[in-house]
Amino acid sequence: MGNVTTAAPAGQPPSAAQSAVDRLKILIRYPETGITAVAVVIALVFEVLNGAFLTSEVPVLLASTAQYGLIAVGEAMLMITGEIDLSAAKIYSTTPFFAFYLTQAGLPWAAAIPLALAGAAGIGWINGFITVRLGVPSLIATLGMLFLLNGAILTVSHSQPARTPESFINVLLGGDQQNAGTGISQIAAFLWLVAIALALAVVLRRTRFGLHTIAVGSNLLAARELGIRTQRTKILNFVIMGVLAGFAGIIESCASGSIDPSAGDNTLTLYAIAAAVIGGTSLFGGSGTVIGALIGAFVVASLNDGLPLVGAQAGFADVPLGIAIVVAMILNIKLTALRVRQI
Amino acid sequence: MTVSAGVPALSGAPELLKARGVTKNYGPSIVLRGLDMYVGRGEVVALVGDNGAGKSTFIKILSGFHAPTSGTLFWEGRELRLGSPTQARAHGIETVYQDLALVNDLTVAQNMFLGREPIKRVLGFLPLTDAKAMRVKTREFLDQVGIRLASVDSLVRDLSGGQRQSIAVARAMQSRPKLLIMDEPLAALGVREGAHVLDLVQEIRRRRDVSIILIVHNYSQIFEVCDRINFLFSGQIALDVSTSDITEEELVRMVKSGLGATTRDASVS
Repeated sequence: MGNVTTAAPAGQPPSAAQSAVDRLKILIRYPETGITAVAVVIALVFEVLNGAFLTSEVPVLLASTAQYGLIAVGEAMLMITGEIDLSAAKIYSTTPFFAFYLTQAGLPWAAAIPLALAGAAGIGWINGFITVRLGVPSLIATLGMLFLLNGAILTVSHSQPARTPESFINVLLGGDQQNAGTGISQIAAFLWLVAIALALAVVLRRTRFGLHTIAVGSNLLAARELGIRTQRTKILNFVIMGVLAGFAGIIESCASGSIDPSAGDNTLTLYAIAAAVIGGTSLFGGSGTVIGALIGAFVVASLNDGLPLVGAQAGFADVPLGIAIVVAMILNIKLTALRVRQI
Repeated sequence: MTVSAGVPALSGAPELLKARGVTKNYGPSIVLRGLDMYVGRGEVVALVGDNGAGKSTFIKILSGFHAPTSGTLFWEGRELRLGSPTQARAHGIETVYQDLALVNDLTVAQNMFLGREPIKRVLGFLPLTDAKAMRVKTREFLDQVGIRLASVDSLVRDLSGGQRQSIAVARAMQSRPKLLIMDEPLAALGVREGAHVLDLVQEIRRRRDVSIILIVHNYSQIFEVCDRINFLFSGQIALDVSTSDITEEELVRMVKSGLGATTRDASVS
């Protein structure tokens, strides 16, 4: 992302206090700063109140962070282009079934997974095509996909869960049943999330595709005038979203040992969007951060898992989360305005 | 009228662009009615006219977005047919639109190279954008065209209107065009900011290697940076006058006193 240089006042060397203020200003410019502070505070508060939050709860916390996070980073990319995918949770529940039916056709599970992910990519492509080429707002296009997939998977599976096939590959996807509670498989999903988020962060800031993603969301007309392939850029982000949601679903089925048609509740999509928003991604398009979405997912998971631990009723977590979403958006708008005025 | 210091006078500049009898109809409405225009190499020509006079229609034809209904464009003496903005660019016609086509959420350097980012292979295969090269080249290029900017890493969102205009011009100049079209460069700017942009135009003009068509509402601000002023009135060039042959006051008087009747041929060739 490069260093941000600020103009020092001419003719006088910056004082220590001045440079500290400058450094603080630079820090504020990074949209991840706020959400990181929030995450740290929340973790510490729960640790103080519960005493074992950061130790005993870590595997559970990181596993649900991974569930929200994999979808959240995809939504963040998509929201940067100015679009959104409401069908993510249904891609999440459909993809493991793709893979499962492929194993029934004789394919090994390890080979069925990549093919199922290609199917998830296909769903993402259809979402993108309908949005970009046919001009249907993504909110509607993906709402339609949500119901379509939900109905299809419930019908085909007769609403019955299936057992996840045994395979060597499940260990890598968080599904080490024999050694449950120990080993790397516990945090495998989280490690996948971190690796993918870091890769996407580089893609967003340091590849042509990433810069075009920002350009398309920030100023579509300009992007077109400059010869950027705006439609392709958007559709590709829908595809990435599809693959990530499908991958999260595969991981869940490996970790839980069952493929559940009702696993992908729609609140999963909404939690993921919440994670992206409180992580600093604006729904207006153009600005957003993948790393912020990851940390946002951690905050959402902490609230969901942590609040019951310290005695709050189940479901209460949605109260602070709801407030956080709106406050994050207000801050996003206000900070942008503030920054413009400073310069 | 004195030509500003440091700008070499042009006499009989060789032809770059000539428009002959260009008309444009949108359905039943006739926007251009036989427009003739001439731009010599290195010349700065202001195209002035009211809203609806046809200024933006004409530049859309020049920049390849629309084809004329009839009439011909000549480029360096040869007939010019433009099928797309890309073709116009390939001929060396760059246009800076009023919206500037800048992306607020990207840095100055990223905007400079947007759509043609330099790539380097990291670890031999990862195609990442060469951020350092973009930064260094942007800095060099801004220095060349005389634009001062604290940091090329600033987001365009954080720049002033004049700075944004300058960045857009610098980007257009990057491909070394022969003709630069600026659409209402002063419209959104304050007086001081506008002066910076006019300095930039003067800087480009001083070198006499790029022709400029300045689309403006009001010619009073641009008198000093132009070689000629073309007044567009109801789809035709109603007046083509060299800024050295006329004072601003005379021009105002002429335009006010029923210019529509004094239509004359725009040809200088």
